[in-house]
Amino acid sequence: MLWKYALRRIIVALPVLLGVTVITYGLIYLTAGDLVPGLQLNPNLRPEDIARIKANLGLDQPFLVQYLNWLGVPWLLHQVGLWPGAVRTGLLQGDFGRSLLDGSPVMSHILERLPYTLELTSLAILVGVIVAIPMGVVGALRRGSPADHFLTSLSVVGVSIPNFWLALLLVLIFSVGAFQLGLPHLPSGGAASSVNGGDVLDRLAHLVLPTTVLAFGYLAVWSRYTRSSMLESLSQDYVRTARAKGMSERRVVYVHTLRNAVIPLVTLIGLELPTLVAGGAVVEIVFSWPGLGRLALERAVGHDYTTVMGLTLFTAVLVIAGNLLADVLYAVLDPRIRYT
Amino acid sequence: MLDPTAGAIEAPVAQSIGRAGRRARGYWAESWERLYSDRIGFACGLLILLFGVLALAAPLLSAVVTHHDPVRQNLANTFALPGQFTFPLGSDELGRDTLTRLIYGARVSLLVAYLTVILALIIGGSVGMLAGYFGGWLDTVLMRVVDMVLSIPSIYLLILLTALAPRIGPVSLNPGNPYSLAVIIALVSWGSLARLVRADVLSVKERDFMLATRSLGASNWRLMSRHLLPNVLAVMVVAASLQVGAIIVTEAALDFIGLGITPPTASWGNMLSNSQVYFYHSLWLVILPGLAIFVTVLAMNVFGNTVRDAFDPRLREMR
Repeated sequence: MLWKYALRRIIVALPVLLGVTVITYGLIYLTAGDLVPGLQLNPNLRPEDIARIKANLGLDQPFLVQYLNWLGVPWLLHQVGLWPGAVRTGLLQGDFGRSLLDGSPVMSHILERLPYTLELTSLAILVGVIVAIPMGVVGALRRGSPADHFLTSLSVVGVSIPNFWLALLLVLIFSVGAFQLGLPHLPSGGAASSVNGGDVLDRLAHLVLPTTVLAFGYLAVWSRYTRSSMLESLSQDYVRTARAKGMSERRVVYVHTLRNAVIPLVTLIGLELPTLVAGGAVVEIVFSWPGLGRLALERAVGHDYTTVMGLTLFTAVLVIAGNLLADVLYAVLDPRIRYT
Repeated sequence: MLDPTAGAIEAPVAQSIGRAGRRARGYWAESWERLYSDRIGFACGLLILLFGVLALAAPLLSAVVTHHDPVRQNLANTFALPGQFTFPLGSDELGRDTLTRLIYGARVSLLVAYLTVILALIIGGSVGMLAGYFGGWLDTVLMRVVDMVLSIPSIYLLILLTALAPRIGPVSLNPGNPYSLAVIIALVSWGSLARLVRADVLSVKERDFMLATRSLGASNWRLMSRHLLPNVLAVMVVAASLQVGAIIVTEAALDFIGLGITPPTASWGNMLSNSQVYFYHSLWLVILPGLAIFVTVLAMNVFGNTVRDAFDPRLREMR
């Protein structure tokens, strides 16, 4: 039953993926007139040259043809002998196209930056979860105590503080301030020093500030949700029943309450999986972290739309996998939910 | 068995069409009383109101109180230190008064945030309720659309949209304009609301009181508007109240990285972005715009919590 459900979700995820490609390609198509920026401004090009370039790139074709070409459908057909002539590979073959800025494959840019992003965000998420769940549970169990008030205030501050401002403040204190006072200071940007070669310690030092900023944001949200859903679970009838029949408080809390309380959290973390590849984008930009987010901004500002589109798609693919996982977990954890 | 909480709350619909019984008025009056009795939360509400009034009165304040124009340059008074009579919060690299610019920045931030939340709530709320309540193919189709929107990480979609929007001819959304920016952010941020609402609807609609009401012959519309909506309203209110703050941050972030409201129009985000260059000698330029965002968002989140505690009947006894 559950496996069938999981399988069905995988099957329905495919149209979603297709929908995403249509959305992103559609957005780019709507601006197709400008897709080759500066072409019209080049005095050495006659209108017929521009037309020829566009024809070579297939930009004179109708939307559906362009879209299918970009997906790589003709290539597939060519492989089984249904399409004459040589054709370019497309998305289905993992070819995300080429950058408008330098003509290199978009995929190579993405793969170059991806490890940095994953390194930063996975560390931040890990720190966030490890700190958030105990924070939320303590807050709910000791409701109204000074500890609860402190944790709640901390999470409200964490939710409210703009991460790019927090980043600036931390840089102000731990990099600039400490440096000016002659104290040991943390690096304010980049992933490794170019001077001493980026050994492990150096890389860790570069990770400290961005990870702190990101993890603070995560744990603020997650501890708040853990606390409120713990409180909600604690007020349910089955908890009263469990207590009434003499179950130990420890068992009530950890078996009956926490299990139900983490259900919304699973969805929430599932929804946060996009941040595994994207959540740190603004923080990456502040800290000059050479990840995907910074790449996206650099390329968007440089009008390199194919790269931005490739990045968007690439991250979307990863996210769809994450959402699938969250949905299945949701069904495992809460049997009350019926799927019709 | 009827759910004990179901009778205790009545839909706002009931009140607006004037058929509210004593109980319905009782709930809202009681809730307002609770809202009023939470000192900190209520103070935050007043603070938001004050910011709203300041933002609305920005042209008046700039003419009568601060005597500065938000964009006119005054190159004789660059980097004035805060605390002077003419520049209470200092001036920036072009001699523009920071206080005046902060007030004008509030205009942009609040306008974009409220507009976005209203749009996102309308889209996300209706999609989530329809999908969760009716289930079946409607649920499948709507949730696939939500999946599509959600599966594109919002920051990338925002970067793509803000970069492309001015180039999309017939639509003509320019992210430099607050209204367009609100539409762009709303188009990106309704998905999670829809999901949260749907998840809540899924569990509420399985409760016995829904079955009981249905068996009394209530129509789908009545079930949704009078019984489902009040029960998921808490989730919507909390999500929306959290969203306002988050959207202010998103908007500021977009301005900060240079894709939203562009200078010389003052916005908290682009003021902060501008200040990075003067990090070493003009601390107030870094601290003040960020503090404005932080305090506003903090007040909105605390007030949102208060609203939740006051209006969510299931958490009523919890504090």
